[in-house]
Amino acid sequence: MIGPFHLRPTGLMGIVAVLLLLMTTMVRGVASAPPIPATKRITSDGGFKQHLHFSPDGKRLLFTRIHKGKMGVWTLELATGMMKPLLIPDPNTPHFDAHFSPDGKSVIFVLDILHGTDGKLQINRCDADGKNSTVLIPHKAFEESPRWSPDGKRFAWVTTRDGNQEIYSANIKGQELRRLTNDNAMDNNPAWSPDGKKLAFSSSRYGNFDILSMNADGSEIQRLTNHPSVDMWPAWSPDGKQIAFTTNRDGNYEIYLMNADGSNPRNLTQHAASENYAAWSPDGRRLAFISTRHGGHDIYWIEFP
Amino acid sequence: MLTLGQHRMRTCQGITRRELIQVGASSVLGLSAWNWFANSLHATPTKPAKSVLLLWLWGGPSHLDTWDPKPNAPAEFRGPFTTIPTRLPGIRFCELFPEIAKRTDQLAILRSLKTGHNDHGIAGTIGLTGSMAGGVGLGGSALPGSPRPTIGSTVARIKGFSGKLPPFLVVGGKLHQGKKAIVGEGGGPLGGLYDPFRLIYEPESGQTRIPALQLPADLTPDRLEDRAKLLTAFDRLSRTVDQLRSARVLDDYRTQALGMLTSPTARKAFDLSQEKSSVKERYGLTRFGQSCLLGRRLVENGVPFVQINWSDHVEAEEDSGDGGWDHHYRNFQIMQDRHAPWLDRALPALIDDLKERGLFDSTLVLVVGEFGRSPKINDKAGREHWEHCYSGLIFGGGIRGGQVIGSSTPRGEHVHDRPITPADLITTVQHAVGITSEQAQTLNVSLEGGQVIHELF
Repeated sequence: MIGPFHLRPTGLMGIVAVLLLLMTTMVRGVASAPPIPATKRITSDGGFKQHLHFSPDGKRLLFTRIHKGKMGVWTLELATGMMKPLLIPDPNTPHFDAHFSPDGKSVIFVLDILHGTDGKLQINRCDADGKNSTVLIPHKAFEESPRWSPDGKRFAWVTTRDGNQEIYSANIKGQELRRLTNDNAMDNNPAWSPDGKKLAFSSSRYGNFDILSMNADGSEIQRLTNHPSVDMWPAWSPDGKQIAFTTNRDGNYEIYLMNADGSNPRNLTQHAASENYAAWSPDGRRLAFISTRHGGHDIYWIEFP
Repeated sequence: MLTLGQHRMRTCQGITRRELIQVGASSVLGLSAWNWFANSLHATPTKPAKSVLLLWLWGGPSHLDTWDPKPNAPAEFRGPFTTIPTRLPGIRFCELFPEIAKRTDQLAILRSLKTGHNDHGIAGTIGLTGSMAGGVGLGGSALPGSPRPTIGSTVARIKGFSGKLPPFLVVGGKLHQGKKAIVGEGGGPLGGLYDPFRLIYEPESGQTRIPALQLPADLTPDRLEDRAKLLTAFDRLSRTVDQLRSARVLDDYRTQALGMLTSPTARKAFDLSQEKSSVKERYGLTRFGQSCLLGRRLVENGVPFVQINWSDHVEAEEDSGDGGWDHHYRNFQIMQDRHAPWLDRALPALIDDLKERGLFDSTLVLVVGEFGRSPKINDKAGREHWEHCYSGLIFGGGIRGGQVIGSSTPRGEHVHDRPITPADLITTVQHAVGITSEQAQTLNVSLEGGQVIHELF
């Protein structure tokens, strides 16, 4: 007989139990997803930007910008929002990927001297006001990504002088060169730990770019990420406990955060746009990055309580 | 030669009736029996594409780091990027292009392109005209022969000035190698009349600039019209009957050009502020992204051929804009930081937008550069020029998507099967827009050896 459907008490209890279980699972699922931190937009011009770095006093940001067809190093005064080119005079040749010295008095950066249809990369140093640019590492091969050590006595950079990208360090006069990595793969994107004892970097030695760390003399290389995706641009938190980095493991570039030993990687930005080039404020309360979430390439930051 | 703003008006570019007969005769007589037979087999498509968008990736993108990755090749060939699946079974793309990979059911992937030279200047001429004739390399000397018309000029010649806008527009500056503009972006034997009309999108202002109609500082639009009348009258005095015939067409062109400056309807087509922010953001606020959006607007307004130059220069840092694909050094850094994310944003937006507006089936889109890059990574973390094998994408315009045509050898060094040349690609575009072999022969725009890629239809 086909008629109205009647639930027996036991059946009803069973359905209630299943519903409760489902609800509990859903609540757990929501609770276990990391909350998305509040994000603040800092620039709105949309022009291409990359390579962010806070000044040691936290008042300025250095970054690479393509503006009116020219790639150069720019600064952003955080109190006023004013952006201006760093170098005086303008070298009229591409320059990029700059880094403040720990005392905030100098900047090191990549200068691209154009020769015909090719460029020759070298490392230059200038005063923090952009004046007095001088050669620090002349072009021997393709020299890039200079990063000052926290004690200000040395800097690390990437060079192809051995036939592939390797990380070197030198003193602040560009002397006493030390080769830190030695692998046929590409080693790049160096980032010092705040105590200066270690460097995090990207390497393709395991088949694709992962984040690795090593001692400042190149010893004791450790693999921090192990994922078949691009993991790049590591940035060590000022307290040394965490490393932010960019990865496309979720399909698009996101800023991830992991413990300094590589454990507990989690997606910090969780946005469909491209998020890249993480940079910590000196007090560790802000993590700035470049995002395309409004179509262009603008600076945003996350504020931690 | 008269100058109007920055646009040089050539007065003697039209071919005479006698020349036309001579050219037509020599073309027919010079064609081999096989070519004639092969071309005659390709009938006009039932629904020819109304428009063509050529996305020109100047500088030569790496085929291994885009559409033809080689995950099983040794590390010094395959590079640091992994591969991701596409919508096509067994077909993988470089991991930097997840959004394009999701749309491969719409695309035909050409993996067996090869060209005749590894110099940007000459390969650029080949890529745009199908022939190296007249090409100028880095050394500065021109190759024998007169440059052939660029494909956009051929389409413009056939489609004519039927719409409200000129039939061939290039979005982006002139293509350069070093400080020299390359040969092959113009009308060649068709005459300067069919040179492209150029638009430049400026990311900083969000404005579209029209260099040919930039007014001298003291010239207002009102005065411009007066001056144009004077120039027209002056020109007409000094021409022969045949030249006058050409001049009338030239006047049409001039009228169109002035119309672009003065007509609100025409200027509206160039005005990206007419688009919602969400649409602009979807393409990415890069010069290339917004140029693609402008390209869609031009197609929507009936322009038969739009070429979008990714960059003016081949070099990644030198260019006045997004920087070219000539990644002799820092190839992988530039790819992951800039070029791949930009292309993977703009191209999917264009595909989706064309579909949503019902323009996909009537718009043929090509995504290609002048050559590929060396499979073996050099000692500068880059890849060198590679003319022996490269890749491209083609979609829309009634072609059959969701397929791979041709293949390369295991390291991507050479074509394994189904070689495709730029002449084939250009002949295919001619075919797709409905240019018959008879028309091509009459206009002397048939390309020696150029065959339609029949798998696309």
